[in-house]
Amino acid sequence: MKNPEKGMTVIVKTITRLTVGLILLYGIYIVLHGHVSPGGGFAGGVIIALSFIHLMLAFGKEVALKKLSLAAASILESLGAIMFLTIALLGFIGGYFFLNFFPHKGEPFELFSAGIIPICNIAICLKVGAGLFAIFAVLILFRGKDENGSL
Amino acid sequence: MEVFSEYILCFILFCIGLYCVLRRRNIIKIVIGLGIIEYAVNLFFVLVGYKEHGRAPILAKGQVVSPMVDPIPQALVLTSIVIGLAITALIVAIAVRIFEKYGTFDITKIRRLKG
Repeated sequence: MKNPEKGMTVIVKTITRLTVGLILLYGIYIVLHGHVSPGGGFAGGVIIALSFIHLMLAFGKEVALKKLSLAAASILESLGAIMFLTIALLGFIGGYFFLNFFPHKGEPFELFSAGIIPICNIAICLKVGAGLFAIFAVLILFRGKDENGSL
Repeated sequence: MEVFSEYILCFILFCIGLYCVLRRRNIIKIVIGLGIIEYAVNLFFVLVGYKEHGRAPILAKGQVVSPMVDPIPQALVLTSIVIGLAITALIVAIAVRIFEKYGTFDITKIRRLKG
């Protein structure tokens, strides 16, 4: 953020600094309200990944990769997949795959209800968000390596 | 006849994408054409599930029973969008490799195998 040479102009950087937190917060809102309103893990994960991609487009790849490195994104993506599988397998303690094993299922249209569905949404959000960010970061790094190689 | 007008619009969008894939020479424009084809097919699936005066298939608090559009094509289209995202990422990665190897995006100049 200190380096004025990297990234886009001052206007883009200022607007990004103001809006990127709001975009991340909106993604978290979409994920947490996934079982009572449209949205859910996939849409919220894409919005969370877009906030990091926004940071990468405006400030250059070093700033975004310092916030969330490629190794951390890989670990988060695997963690999301393992979390989803674990929730599904925990259903076997009550009888079958994907059983909603919480004894109290909650009330309709309440935020903290619906048993395992919000936890599944969070797992999907981790998987999709980290995966999309990793795809974009790998394409960016790929091009950077090419420029160094051709020189 | 007016029942199928939205399908005709959808078909026109598909044909625009097909023209873009077949006639353009730039690989990036071909990728955009594939995206247009994908969106035309997604739009067709959503229109199949449409019902007259139907509302969005979301259960809200205190809602009276009313006709809703079919939610199954929408769930199918959500899966289709995810797969389309992965395909686009794969095509872009291959395009980057081609640019690295040949230094151009023009498909008429990428002909090293023809000798």
